[in-house]
Amino acid sequence: MRTRRFPVGKSFASFILLALAALTVFPFVWMVLTSLREQNTIFGGPFIPAHFTFAAYPKAWESTQFALHFANSLWITAATVAGVVVFASLAGYAFAKLKFPFKNALYVMLLATLMMPSTSLIIPLYLQLRSFGLLNSQVGLLVVYVSSSAPFAMFLMRAFFASLPDELIEAARIDGAGEFTVFWRVVVPLARPGMATVIIFQFLGTWNEFIYANTILQDSGKLPLQPVLFLLVGQYTTDWPTLTAGLTMSIVPVVIVYVWMQRQFVAGMTLGAVKS
Amino acid sequence: MHSTGGQSPFGSALSRVQLDRRTLIRVGAAGLGAATTASLLAACSTGSSSASGGKATVRIWSWYSDMKDTLPKVLADFEAKHPNIKVENRIFGSPDQYLPALTAAVSSGDVPEIFAPHVRANTYGEQGISADLSKDLGGDFLKDFFPAQNMVDQSNGKQYWVAWEAQTFGIFYNPDIFKLAKIDGEPETWDDLIEAAHKVNAIGKSAVGFASNPGTSALDFFLPLVTQVTDDPTYFLKLDYLTKGYKWTNQPIVDALKLNDKIVKAKVFQPNTNGTSGDQVNQLFYTGGSAMLFSGSWMPNTLVQSAPPEFVKKYKIMKTPAIKSGARHWTADQAGAGWAVSETSKNKEAALELLKYLYTPDVYAKLMNSSYAMPATKSAADQIADPNVKLMASWLPDGCPHIPFGPGSSAAGDPLQKIFDQTATPSRSPRRCRRRC
Amino acid sequence: MSASAWRLHRSERIAGYTFIVPITVLFALFVGWPIVRAVYLGFTTWSGFGAPRFTGLDNYARMLHDPVAQHAFLITIIYAVVTTVLQTAIPLVVAVLLANVWSGLSVVVRTILFIPGIVSFVVSGVLWKLIFDPNLGTLNQALKSLGLGDLALPWLADGRTALPAIMLVSLWGGLGANMLIYFAGIQGVDPALYEAAQIDGAGSWQRFRYVTIPALRGVTAIVLSLNLMNGFKAFDLIFVMTGGGPSHATDTFGTYLYSLAFGSAGGSIPQLGYGSAFSVVVMLLCGVAVLVQVALTRRAQR
Repeated sequence: MRTRRFPVGKSFASFILLALAALTVFPFVWMVLTSLREQNTIFGGPFIPAHFTFAAYPKAWESTQFALHFANSLWITAATVAGVVVFASLAGYAFAKLKFPFKNALYVMLLATLMMPSTSLIIPLYLQLRSFGLLNSQVGLLVVYVSSSAPFAMFLMRAFFASLPDELIEAARIDGAGEFTVFWRVVVPLARPGMATVIIFQFLGTWNEFIYANTILQDSGKLPLQPVLFLLVGQYTTDWPTLTAGLTMSIVPVVIVYVWMQRQFVAGMTLGAVKS
Repeated sequence: MHSTGGQSPFGSALSRVQLDRRTLIRVGAAGLGAATTASLLAACSTGSSSASGGKATVRIWSWYSDMKDTLPKVLADFEAKHPNIKVENRIFGSPDQYLPALTAAVSSGDVPEIFAPHVRANTYGEQGISADLSKDLGGDFLKDFFPAQNMVDQSNGKQYWVAWEAQTFGIFYNPDIFKLAKIDGEPETWDDLIEAAHKVNAIGKSAVGFASNPGTSALDFFLPLVTQVTDDPTYFLKLDYLTKGYKWTNQPIVDALKLNDKIVKAKVFQPNTNGTSGDQVNQLFYTGGSAMLFSGSWMPNTLVQSAPPEFVKKYKIMKTPAIKSGARHWTADQAGAGWAVSETSKNKEAALELLKYLYTPDVYAKLMNSSYAMPATKSAADQIADPNVKLMASWLPDGCPHIPFGPGSSAAGDPLQKIFDQTATPSRSPRRCRRRC
Repeated sequence: MSASAWRLHRSERIAGYTFIVPITVLFALFVGWPIVRAVYLGFTTWSGFGAPRFTGLDNYARMLHDPVAQHAFLITIIYAVVTTVLQTAIPLVVAVLLANVWSGLSVVVRTILFIPGIVSFVVSGVLWKLIFDPNLGTLNQALKSLGLGDLALPWLADGRTALPAIMLVSLWGGLGANMLIYFAGIQGVDPALYEAAQIDGAGSWQRFRYVTIPALRGVTAIVLSLNLMNGFKAFDLIFVMTGGGPSHATDTFGTYLYSLAFGSAGGSIPQLGYGSAFSVVVMLLCGVAVLVQVALTRRAQR
């Protein structure tokens, strides 16, 4: 028999992956270590600090009003993700599986969202929000986030739905299901990996967004977390311990969402494989 | 991907539903309804922030992050004394974070009552966006400020902003490295500095840290050179405003460029100045990588925040070297941090109240001292506590007051940068600068 | 056409339009109209106050003669193409490796590789800028301690090394997300195909080449065009790490237009009209990327 396993076997692949993982995570190791350093010892000291101190964490919590802005981020991000998942799934399915006139033209038009640099849209968007009275409001920011992110998510969902077999849908229709029922009962349950992907990406993207939040919201109390953390990055000096402590804390929910979705992801994928 | 057999597993489970059209319409209506409701809710709940319950709201925006802990207290005191005025303070981290928000606010016609004008004071003033403070605050109020010709708009003699933090430039130095390199005293002239630089380079360190990034910073170094060559503190100002007869190709400018080039060639600066940013060159200085640092009077605050405490105690400051022994040093004085007032806001009067309060000598001096910043009025300058800041403030009367940001200089930053990385000669640069301005 | 077939078509059409109503309405109001406005601004001179002044094609003519713009165009293309190639090929290889090792290790490594994507490019830029610092950064310190002091270059301060350094950080940040998409695609490949290939005597490399790659054509097309568009639009990372410097060495259209509108290149008078013209060019470039993706997807489906 001539079939051979991977040359040098899985151990070679594992080695490469571990090395890659170590390199990848290194800046974050630095970031967490820096949050434990004493003020004014960031440079010129050893990599592992001589003295550890957690003082930066309460300082970050207090001075940035972490709790308030964390709550802002949480609600805005959760609402954005919900909106995006719903709208993108509906539209993605429609573009993937339904036939209607002008479908391709509409699809390409929606993709135009991905083609403009976001910085060039700041002022036009600002003026548009003013026309709707949505300036300086978190709901306005939410609307902007959903509008500008849903097309990308739709792009992903459409690709995902397109890979589902038409027969599934045809069969459901033959059994008398209406279009929405087909969508809701037949297609959506199969879409878990796709939706999990969208949830992860969207949560990340919205959680980390900075410039629109900074510009659209005027009252500091309404700001989400990112713009507030970046107040610590000044023109001439950066408060590294406090900043890294704040960033470390801000990553926690993202990691939670990621790990949670990963399980959905894997579960969804194995489900799909088993079904076939 | 997924292979299917023939039968759908849902066949018998689904009842014959004929409501599809109505269901679909419901979905669509729900989507539209959600969007509309959200917009309506927002429109109802968001007022413009100009009046809330009879109080006048004064927004004050800046990136003066050295005051992010100290300014709020002062503003709270003001609110206590003026119960009908509400102050909303917003301090951004840096100009890059601040300018999009300001630009957007201006574009919508709703400008914050008090704002940091950056380099746009005159542009906005001429368009009626920022108020003429010589009229609104009065001559007596403005007399207390250190003279700075750049405050006045050259095209019409009005003043659209007031200085908040004066800024002198100087050379910060590390006495320990001077001792190691066997440098006695402080270099008085550029030739002295070049000699000192050689000694520092010989012990393996950079001499003067300087960040010529972005290009407009290169102009900060060039300004005293021009003033020294001409001995005229108004020369660069006139060049900057394209006054007749003042061109980049004039002989004094060419001489100043040649001097700049000579300093760069003598390896006075650290390598790759064009690629070094402001915070990097500061770090270089307080970690002992460079003997000196060309910077301004905001540095004491920066050093207190970031440098090791022993370093903060030991560093010293000296004047920018002069062109020859005994000549005037003409340290640059730039007042880059200031305040403008919105002309069109309905709370302009309240804003002026706040501004006057901020400049009350006791309030002002206390705030500046607690932030290690340099005040721009004479009465507050008398009360400076920190010796380093006091030293730099004493140079103000001897300074060449200008920030190079007018039409005659902002585009000259790029060609000037080429002198710093030696990709251009002083003979070609003047023509390049002239062409761009 | 039979009555029920006609009803089916009609209900399908209605469903199609209804399902896309929310996204289309939001798009029209908060994306489409601002894009139209931005395109219009490209034909004007405007400083952010008062009314824009219509100047026709002046901005585009100016762009053709602006040396900074010309260089920025070159850098935009180089950056987009190189990051696309790297961020499309390498994640694919990594995803395949991950699919072939023990699943416990696979999950751990997948999670770790995704971590750089968890923070924004602004944060990555700030962290990496410190790492690349010529005097204090850990990279050069590590090189010096390993005796490789000659390699301790001024990474971000030298025009020749700045762009590659930034591209490396982009790859670091984008690896996880791209890899995840491929991984999902690989999970969807029918295992029966692999078995059949193995029975036919195909080795690992051949299985990869003749089963995995063709199955992932659609996914690859998507990843490729997304990376290309992101490359053309690149702004955050570059701006935070070098601001477009040194001396415009790393200035792309994205960073240049930002500094024209809000930063130092605009000087005391913001140039929102000229900046918008650049965004229109970027949009056209992205349009090309979309056409590329459509063409590749069509080929994949054949």
